[in-house]
Amino acid sequence: MQAFSKKTARALGFLTLLFAPVAAAEEANDCLSCHGEEGLTLTLENGEEAPLFVKQDALAGSVHKALRCTDCHAGQNQVPHPERHYKDLAQFRNSFSETCKTCHFENYTKTLDSVHYAMQARGDVFAPNCVKCHGAHDIARPAEPRTRISQTCATCHRQVSETYAKSVHGKALLIEKNPDVPVCTDCHRSHDIADPKNRAWLMSTPSLCGKCHADAKLMKKYGLSTNVLSSYLSDFHGTTASFDAKGERTKDEPVVALCVDCHGIHDIAKVTGQSAAAFRANLVKTCAKCHEGASENFPAAWLSHYEPSLKRAPLVYLVKLFYRIIIPFIVGGLILQILLHLWRSVVNR
Amino acid sequence: MNTPKDDVVRFDMRDRVEHLLVMIIFFLLALTGLPQKFHDAAISKTIVDALGGIAQVRFLHRAAGVLFAIMTLIHLVTVLGRVLTGRSSLAMVPGAKDFRDVVTTLRYYLRISDTRAQFDRFDYKEKFEYWGIVFGGIIMITTGFALLYPIEATRFLPGQIIPAAKVAHGSEGLMAFLVVILWHIYNVVFAPEVFPGSKTIFTGKISRERMRHEHPLEYARMFPEEANEILGQHAAEPVPKQDG
Repeated sequence: MQAFSKKTARALGFLTLLFAPVAAAEEANDCLSCHGEEGLTLTLENGEEAPLFVKQDALAGSVHKALRCTDCHAGQNQVPHPERHYKDLAQFRNSFSETCKTCHFENYTKTLDSVHYAMQARGDVFAPNCVKCHGAHDIARPAEPRTRISQTCATCHRQVSETYAKSVHGKALLIEKNPDVPVCTDCHRSHDIADPKNRAWLMSTPSLCGKCHADAKLMKKYGLSTNVLSSYLSDFHGTTASFDAKGERTKDEPVVALCVDCHGIHDIAKVTGQSAAAFRANLVKTCAKCHEGASENFPAAWLSHYEPSLKRAPLVYLVKLFYRIIIPFIVGGLILQILLHLWRSVVNR
Repeated sequence: MNTPKDDVVRFDMRDRVEHLLVMIIFFLLALTGLPQKFHDAAISKTIVDALGGIAQVRFLHRAAGVLFAIMTLIHLVTVLGRVLTGRSSLAMVPGAKDFRDVVTTLRYYLRISDTRAQFDRFDYKEKFEYWGIVFGGIIMITTGFALLYPIEATRFLPGQIIPAAKVAHGSEGLMAFLVVILWHIYNVVFAPEVFPGSKTIFTGKISRERMRHEHPLEYARMFPEEANEILGQHAAEPVPKQDG
């Protein structure tokens, strides 16, 4: 269901742009005659004070600068305003999300599936809603510049954001201003942010990482192998994960190692160059997280995303080669015998 | 023509039960193993979902594998014991005659000659399958246990044996599956001589007619009065003495 498509919203916005500026400015002056007064508040049912003050030219820098006050604050064009009742500040704030829905229906609907909306539904005052992330009157394009996205999330997720800033992705974004690396929303999505502990979301992480790490064009730029996803999927962990992603699993079953279990989540580091040694030294510990009692030999059981070769994993390479020869030889020979036998049987008749 | 009176016993109860169990376990192992090897195929997802998910599939595969290992062990120990105490024939042991039989049979198939190889209790195809499942089984069991207990397996051995065991287990399993599906099923179900399928391994009985045709050397020993009649026409091979 979709009451307003993006297109309709854009068309409406365009019409408003054509006719509105003069009228909008006039209306704003009317509203600001009261709302321009600092300290103007509304007392809510539980005694909390809701601020009603709006700065002069509040919309000037916003993407909505051509809109009238009443386009968002619908039903408020009579003075005095019709009486409204809000239980508390949380309810008052969340009522604005309902306003955004009028035009941004698609994204609004997505938020209903998000972990943030679940907080809202529980009545959490700190739960993010539309305006908490996007701003209210000063609303600007959320991804311009791209670094802004991580800053927005950092408002609440301070610790995670600091960890991310030190990661290979975070450093590239914040220091090199590299637009290729993922920001928060590339992995967590923006409106339908899932609970990171949600099993379905966790199981989708290989394809999530694969979006970039299996992209040949992008990886070539950084000299990275696109083999990482396929080599993961064809090994024990990846096979389990790919089957798991479909079926429903029992609770007592351990979750299989995903990309993040070895590479980290927000603290993903390079596994080549300087940090490679540290990563390798830590491997036994990493494996032992699940494989209790793993010895120093154990990490080599995983070929580190490499294709077996005479140099890297000679035993695996030779076993593979042996069967690549013997299977066609044996099976082909038997099929040939079957065909000859059939032929001779026909001839005998 | 084939009245029951005409039947002779080819396999005793132990052989029949063993074959039946191996058949069921082999089917179960292939059903739960191949979808893991070919995890990308759509049919694999269907099979895994139908069996209750990958964890369930792995449990079934391991349980069947352990059963197969136990059966193989029992088989080898009993056979060895019987051979050592002289209670078993060595009819399954391949010899030079089997290689001559391959050549004779191929010459016959290619119409170079009209002479057919005369087989004893087991022909070279049966021996090939028997030793295939014994040696293939040993490979499957050792690699299977390495994959089931990777921590224990790599305590003293290099880590690389795990991916090597995985390649060997998957490839050997695929080869065994193909050999059984193509070769064994053809020989016992679709070959014109036996179509629509030989029941001998299930009933233990074979008709004298088929016995005379497929295992003339053994037949000649069973019915010496007919020996000259059967072997006279070919006389290529002397009637060997019964071993064991």
